[in-house]
Amino acid sequence: MTTPADSNGRKVTSLREMPQSIEPARDLWPGIEAQLGELPEGAASGGTVPARRRGQPLRWLAAAAMLASVALGVWIGRSLLPGTAGIGTPQVSANRTAVPPLAPTALDAAYVSDPRYAQQRAALVQALQARLAALPPPARAKVSASLAAIEQAKQDLEEALGRDPGNALLQELLVNTYQDEMRVLTDVHEASDPGRGI
Amino acid sequence: MAHAQAEETRVDWEAALVQRARAGDRRAFERLYREHVGRVYGLCLRMTRDAQLAEDCTQETFINAWRALGKFETRSTLSTWLHRIAVNVSLAKRRKSGPVEAPPEEEEGGGAEWTLETPVEVQEIEGAIGELPEGARDALVLHALYGYSHGEAAQMLGIAEGTCKAQLHRARKLLRERLAVEVN
Repeated sequence: MTTPADSNGRKVTSLREMPQSIEPARDLWPGIEAQLGELPEGAASGGTVPARRRGQPLRWLAAAAMLASVALGVWIGRSLLPGTAGIGTPQVSANRTAVPPLAPTALDAAYVSDPRYAQQRAALVQALQARLAALPPPARAKVSASLAAIEQAKQDLEEALGRDPGNALLQELLVNTYQDEMRVLTDVHEASDPGRGI
Repeated sequence: MAHAQAEETRVDWEAALVQRARAGDRRAFERLYREHVGRVYGLCLRMTRDAQLAEDCTQETFINAWRALGKFETRSTLSTWLHRIAVNVSLAKRRKSGPVEAPPEEEEGGGAEWTLETPVEVQEIEGAIGELPEGARDALVLHALYGYSHGEAAQMLGIAEGTCKAQLHRARKLLRERLAVEVN
């Protein structure tokens, strides 16, 4: 039985003062991650049946807003930021040293501040109303609800960052939320294209 | 005040991470893992008394948590939920490796604080806890170290509350003998 290193020699007068946390001798995450890779898709949500199969054709769109971060990062890397994947927002990069190294971070940080991203987003937002009008009313309502939820999340995170600007986790969540928004906008754009149903 | 606000913000991040992990975001789940692994491993180690087995239990806990994240109700704390899974996993692993002991009958009458008459080194206490019979150790670890109520500890261990209290009574008595101090 091992005890935490900083507990050696420390005396306590109550069992509640005993350390609750003991770090394992090695990083267990790689083993966990490898096994997550073997699980069927959707395992994280309890093996939910895909919405399309339940006869709710566009429900996936709202879920896609949350699912899309990594895929979208790759997409943006290809289509918006050729050759800029290594550039990071200095504030974000500086703070990432305080948290475990997780991929892909520099791209995340770079794209939201890139003018090409802003242009692309502005174009999608401008076309949004016309695109939404092309969708069936239930789909339109769901997309609008998703975008409203994302907008609220952005505001909450920006507010939280105002109070704690150096917080790397909040920064990452904000970047992810921007990615989610971009994904929904892109999906709406593609879904309302003639000949490309959702 | 500042501490409460920090805790609230932490819980908010956690809720956001849980939401993202539910949607399949492994990076978010890794964050949750890093936040909670120490408490999960600490519990598994104390229940199994074997570092290798505790590592296995910890990994299995997080894999099971990933699978069941859709069922996690955000009104309970993630930490408690992970502990429930960790207890189940540890008990199952232990059952595979040996017979289950019969529970004692006398019920615990002492307080919930588990204070020691004189200060004792953490390592010495860990050693004494490690020597307790499994049932008594489980109840003590959950109740006295991690602060779960008799009812919660009993539920996590899948035993009656009276049995849990009896195990705690036995744990207190044995701990008193092994540490040679009064345990109140």
